[in-house]
Amino acid sequence: MVCSQCQELLSEYIDGALELGEQVNIERHLSDCEPCRAVRDDLLQIVHFSQQLPVQAPATSLWPRINAGLAEFQPSFWNRSLRWLHNLRTLNFNFSVPQMIATAAAIAIVVSTGIILSRHDNGTTPIATAGITLSPSDARPLSQADLQVLEKQISQLSDSVEQRKDSWDPELRNAFERNLLYVNQSLAECRHQLSDHPGDDVSQELMLNAYREKIRLLEGFDKF
Amino acid sequence: MKPFLTFRLLFFLAIVTISADSQQRFERSYSPQHPAHLTISNVNGTIHISAWDKKTVLARANASSSVAFEDHVIGDDITIVTKRSIRLARADFVVNVPPDTSLTVKNIVGKIDVRGITGHVSIHSIDSDVQLTKVNSPSVDVIVTSGDIYFDGELRDGGSYNLQSMKGDLDVTLPSATSFNLNARALSENINLGSFLNSLSGSSRGPKGVSGTYLRGGPRLTLTAYAGRILLHKK
Repeated sequence: MVCSQCQELLSEYIDGALELGEQVNIERHLSDCEPCRAVRDDLLQIVHFSQQLPVQAPATSLWPRINAGLAEFQPSFWNRSLRWLHNLRTLNFNFSVPQMIATAAAIAIVVSTGIILSRHDNGTTPIATAGITLSPSDARPLSQADLQVLEKQISQLSDSVEQRKDSWDPELRNAFERNLLYVNQSLAECRHQLSDHPGDDVSQELMLNAYREKIRLLEGFDKF
Repeated sequence: MKPFLTFRLLFFLAIVTISADSQQRFERSYSPQHPAHLTISNVNGTIHISAWDKKTVLARANASSSVAFEDHVIGDDITIVTKRSIRLARADFVVNVPPDTSLTVKNIVGKIDVRGITGHVSIHSIDSDVQLTKVNSPSVDVIVTSGDIYFDGELRDGGSYNLQSMKGDLDVTLPSATSFNLNARALSENINLGSFLNSLSGSSRGPKGVSGTYLRGGPRLTLTAYAGRILLHKK
């Protein structure tokens, strides 16, 4: 699978709408492709942000009005460009709901990235989770060193599983990859929530738990 | 030539049919002196465990011929293991136990069903729906990566009840008079405590987490879901 194919299917992948075979292909590609992983993370962030927006139910009379408007006026490229310039000059924009969501998500990504980078520059990385040895109900911030220990353990187990995986029965491999996908999606969601709300104890608990779950999953399959 | 071809085809089909039906049956009976601790470690297949009124443990399994079983008994500890291989060969267990048996169940793929148990219950699986019915255990610990968890039973004073799924719903049904301390966490922000919510005291409530005491408190009920719902019902 090449990057363009992967990115074309990423939205459906995130929605869980793909066939298992396609999911597995994408997950394989993502494991080796940093740019596609970045696109996936951005999309997850947009999905997460969109979910927090209030639901706007359009009036039932809206569609006939849109339809009539479309039939009446099909602006040319130059008309659209001139209108855009006019809007820019007068700061007068009319966005549709999807456009508003996309714009709001883009602003959120830019702002949160800026915040994270600025804090990182100060040497005070805000993303933390509960301690390795604590129960799920405890929520002391996890140090960067603790996080590295978890990541290292996961990395070692992943390497070991990856080496064995090719010899597995396809059904076994699918079960592993499907469940690894679920855990990775949960971890990505926890990271996004923590980047939005760095002090959120519940997200910290859930993220630590998700790390534990990933280790449990890898250990379970490391024995095959 | 044609009759010969037909014969070869029939012979091939017969071989395929025989190998597809190649199954084995495992059956053991154990007679513990005291409340037993049964461990079942399986890879792929359903596991049904139900309490009966006898003092023996009866374990039966239908399995592919490639599955290797091991069982050993130390005192009242009974362990049955299907050995792991690179194939996801199937073994389906049906087990009857005395109600006070403590259970440890490990699986990778396959539904797990436990009924009528009053001993400790621990279930860890990767890809399993888990159903606990009519349990009255001092502790329950169920962790699955994907699958729904259904609990219909009672909580004992001082007991610990932990249910967790990363991709599935947690559906818990309790008697309305049951007291407990609740700690519910759902990354999906989908927690529905039904009429329990109104009577939860000293609670902290957020979209992803609800904690509090119902009636007098006592048993610790910890529910953790990620991409799934938490549903609490009164019986």
